[in-house]
Amino acid sequence: MFEFLNQPEVIKIIVTIGSMILFFVGLFGLLTRKHIIKIFISIAIMESSIFLLFIGLTFKIDSIAPILDSAHKDVATMNDPIPHAMILTAIVIGMAVLALGVSFAIEYFKLTGKTDIDEMNEMRH
Amino acid sequence: MSLKREIPTTTLSGFALSGLLVLTILSILLQNIPNKIQTAGNALLKLNTTEGVANAVTTVVVYFRGFDTLGEIAVLFIASLGIGLMLHSNTKCNIKAESNFMLQTASRLLFPIIMLFGTYVMIYGHLSPGGGFQGGVIIASGVLLLLISHKAFEVPHSVIVALETFAGVSYVLIGLIGLLVLDVFLGNFLPHDISQMGLLLSGGIIPLIYIIVGIKVGSEMSMIVQNLIKRDYDV
Amino acid sequence: MTGFIILGTFIGLIIVSFAAIVQKKLADSIILFMGVGLGSVVLFFIFKAPDVALTEAVIGVGISSLIFLMALKHLGEQK
Repeated sequence: MFEFLNQPEVIKIIVTIGSMILFFVGLFGLLTRKHIIKIFISIAIMESSIFLLFIGLTFKIDSIAPILDSAHKDVATMNDPIPHAMILTAIVIGMAVLALGVSFAIEYFKLTGKTDIDEMNEMRH
Repeated sequence: MSLKREIPTTTLSGFALSGLLVLTILSILLQNIPNKIQTAGNALLKLNTTEGVANAVTTVVVYFRGFDTLGEIAVLFIASLGIGLMLHSNTKCNIKAESNFMLQTASRLLFPIIMLFGTYVMIYGHLSPGGGFQGGVIIASGVLLLLISHKAFEVPHSVIVALETFAGVSYVLIGLIGLLVLDVFLGNFLPHDISQMGLLLSGGIIPLIYIIVGIKVGSEMSMIVQNLIKRDYDV
Repeated sequence: MTGFIILGTFIGLIIVSFAAIVQKKLADSIILFMGVGLGSVVLFFIFKAPDVALTEAVIGVGISSLIFLMALKHLGEQK
């Protein structure tokens, strides 16, 4: 069974199904939870799943990390460095947006004392 | 009397999302991505040998995509601005009780080691995994350790403002000098020999820019952490 | 062997993340979210991406969890 799981098509299937299930677990939490901090946690889980999908789709079994030195000068077996750079930027920006959103929630709680999204209806009347 | 019926939202959304899940998986898997495609990454890895930098991801982030890194720093700055606007308070006390004697001694011992490790990760970013973002956040976590273990510790506001201003302005200045010398914004105008790969002074302006990014990110994250921890107590 | 580890880590991640959103208390939810970040770091290490693993370990587990814990402290422990 170990040899069956090491083929590249099977790894691609495992990565796709796993990260898509993680994304939809996060989406389920975003739609049905009432506490505002749990909504932010669901957004963070969704972001993590997309990073895993991105890096997992370009993964080959016999690859090494994209760092050159005197012992590893063969660029044919190295990983692709472009998705790594894009995911680096995405992780930092995701954290910045999350911090801003949580600070808004804290300030709103200090002003009115509500954390349930069904009760936040000042703009309705 | 209202005739509203309770709709079970949890079960309905569970069923709808399962259907969407199956459709998404099928739509990704049914695209025939062949296993031996020639991507742009191979060409960039070969170009890396002309820049003389050992870490390929650093070259892509700082040199080939340097303008995107400038935009990312701008996004971090705007987020820090918003958090400072919402949560700023002028009180000096940020924890209520004096903490344990063991915690105070251990944090004073650990703080220089964490700062040294963060600076090492920041400076050696072009030779081994690491870089400006990772090193800056490690430095901010060292400041966090001191903030939660000592009662009246705070980083002065003017120091953080000075560091951020210096780092942000010098990033754009280096780009403009590259524009003057080489007709390319953020061009590599310092010497970068291929024979120097693996040494500390290699790669031209790439380690310089990453150190500047590290200083800016470290000071901004320290400001964010300090604004989150301080609180108006009624003491 | 690599495929087996990837499969096991993905199953663990899905179980932990589902448990993180159906908890009643907020503190348990935040601690289980830190588990999702940790499993993510392990997966990035297996995919031979050291820069991304280091960034996710420092930012995803260190700073993101700190932000949520500070929100818990300011909001007070409720439902």
